[in-house]
Amino acid sequence: MATETDTTTFDAGKLAHRLPDDALLHGGIVFAILLMASPLLLAIIMSTQSTTEVYQVTNLGLGSKGLSNYSDALVNYDFSTYMLNSFVMSVIVVVGKVTLSLFAALALVYYRFPYERAVFMFILLTLLLPVPVRIVPLFQLMADLGWTNSLLALTGPYIASATAVFLFRQQFMGIPASLVEVARLDGVGPLTFLFRVLIPMSRGMIAGVCVITFIYTWNQFLWPLVVVTDKSSQVVQVGIRYLQGSAQAGLTQWGLIMAGAVLALLPPLVVLIVLHRPLLRTLTIQQK
Amino acid sequence: MSTATKPYDSTLQAALLLLPTAAVLVAFLYYPALETFRLSLYETLFLGQRQTWTGLGNFVSLLTSGVYQYSFFITVAFAAVVVFGTLGVSLLIGYLIFSVDVRSSVYLVAAIWPYALPPAVAAILLNFILHPNLGIFTHYLELLTPLTLDWFNDGPQAFAILAVVVIWKQLGYNIIFIVAALNNIPEILTENARIDGVGRFRMLYKVYVPMIAPTMTFLVVMNTIYAFFSTFPLVDLMTSGGPSDATNFLIFKLYRDAFQFNSLGLASAQSVILFVVVSILMYIQLRFASGYGRYGG
Repeated sequence: MATETDTTTFDAGKLAHRLPDDALLHGGIVFAILLMASPLLLAIIMSTQSTTEVYQVTNLGLGSKGLSNYSDALVNYDFSTYMLNSFVMSVIVVVGKVTLSLFAALALVYYRFPYERAVFMFILLTLLLPVPVRIVPLFQLMADLGWTNSLLALTGPYIASATAVFLFRQQFMGIPASLVEVARLDGVGPLTFLFRVLIPMSRGMIAGVCVITFIYTWNQFLWPLVVVTDKSSQVVQVGIRYLQGSAQAGLTQWGLIMAGAVLALLPPLVVLIVLHRPLLRTLTIQQK
Repeated sequence: MSTATKPYDSTLQAALLLLPTAAVLVAFLYYPALETFRLSLYETLFLGQRQTWTGLGNFVSLLTSGVYQYSFFITVAFAAVVVFGTLGVSLLIGYLIFSVDVRSSVYLVAAIWPYALPPAVAAILLNFILHPNLGIFTHYLELLTPLTLDWFNDGPQAFAILAVVVIWKQLGYNIIFIVAALNNIPEILTENARIDGVGRFRMLYKVYVPMIAPTMTFLVVMNTIYAFFSTFPLVDLMTSGGPSDATNFLIFKLYRDAFQFNSLGLASAQSVILFVVVSILMYIQLRFASGYGRYGG
C-alpha cells in the first residue's frame, strides 16, 4: 500500500477516516473501467467460440473458431458490403459537413451583410428538429425524389449542421484581430484567407468536428432502417439487425452475432482512441 | 464583433458561402418539419394515399388514448432513471479520474470509449450478456443472489435492462464533460477545503457538484434528449416495445405508427409532441446551463 502523500499533520486517529489513499483510488478506477469494458471483452471472447461452446455458459476461454466467425460475417452475411456502405456514408458526411460549415462560418464571422443575426438564428434553430420530428415527410421526400436505397438519402439530411457551423464560428472568433487586419491590408481574398490562415489555425477544431461527425454518422440506425430496404445498400448498424434475425434459425449463432457487433464497433472506436485529444477539446469548447 | 475585424462586405459572396448550408437546412430540415405540422392536422387512410382534414383530431385521440398516455408516462420515467443513473455513476468515475492526476489520460480514454459505442452494438452485446438463459451475467447473478432474470416476459425488468444499456452507453459522454468541468475549478478552492480536512466524498457533494452545476444541468438536458430520441435501436433490437408495452417508448410507437401501420397523420402528430419536448429541453438548456449543445446533429 502506498503511504499517505498529503498528510502534513500526521495523526493516527484522523487517518482512520481520512481520504482513501492512492492505491485505493487507482484500484477503484481500474475496477470501474474493467466493469465498463466487460461486455465488450466477453463479446470478443464469445466471437471466437463455436455455437456449442457459447451454449456452455461459463466457458470463458478463447474458442475453437478463431477468427472464422469474423470471416463468416464478412463473407457469408454481407458484412463487408455493410461496412463499406457505412464507411462511404460516414466519409461523405464528414467531408461535406466540414466543407459546408467552414464556408458558412467564414461568411458569418468575416462578412458584413444584412440580417446577420437572423441568418445565424435560422441555422441554430435547426437544433430543434432532430430526425424523429420530421421523419415521415423526410421519408416521403426521399421517395418522391427517387432517392430511397441510395447514398443520397443516407447522407443528404446530415450534410449540414448547426453544431459544426457554431463550432467553427467560435473558433474563427477566437483568431486574433491583428491577423485579420494584416490579411485585410494585404488585400487577401476570402478563399485564400480561409485556406491559408483560417484552416491551418483551426486544425484541432476541424479534427474534433470530424471525429464527432464520423462517430455520429457511423452509429445512425433509425434513418437507414427507414430509408434503405435493399440489403446491398444497407449500413452495418442495421446489418446487425439482419444478422440477429438470420442467425436465429435453430440454435442462435451467438459467436457470429458477437463477431458482427465487434466489427460494427471497431471503426468509431479506433477513431476515438487515435483522435481523443482534439475530440475532448472540441466537445468541451462547445459547452462554454 | 467590430467592423474592423470584418474585412469583407460583399453580400453576394456571403450569400454564396451560406447557400449550400441554407439549401440543405431548408430542404431536409425546415421543409419536412413544416410538412410534419401540416400532416399532423390530417387523417391519412389507405397507406397514406388519402388525406382528410381532421384539425386537432389526431392530438385529441393521442391525448385521450390510454396506450399513448402510458407510452408518454414510461418514457418520462425512463428518462428520469437514465438521467439519475448516468449522472451518479459518471460523477463517481469522473471524480476518481480527476483525483489521480498521474495517468489520467490513459484512464480517461479507457473510461470515455462508450462515446463511440453504437447504440445497436450496445443493445446486441447486453442482449447476450444479460440473456435470460445464456447470459454469463445472468448465470452468476442467479447463482449469487435470489434474483431471477426473466426480462423477455417481465415488463419492469425489461425497462430496467434498457436503462442499464443506455446508462452504459452514455457514461463516456458524461465523463468527458464532468472531468473537464472538474479540471476547470480553481485549485485554490479545493486546496482550502482539503486543508480543512473534508473527506474525499464529502468534498464531491459539498464542494465540487455545486461548482459544476452548469455542466450538470447541461448533462441532465442532454441525457433526457438521448432517452427520448435515441433509444430506438435498443427497443427495436432487445424488446420490440414489450413485454405488454412496458418498453413501448414514444420514439418506438412513432416508428410503428408511421412505418408499420401507415398512420402518417397520427405519427406526425406524435412528431409535433416530440418537437414540443425538445423545445422545452433546449429552453432549459439556454436558460440554466451555459452554451447549447447537440453534438453532430
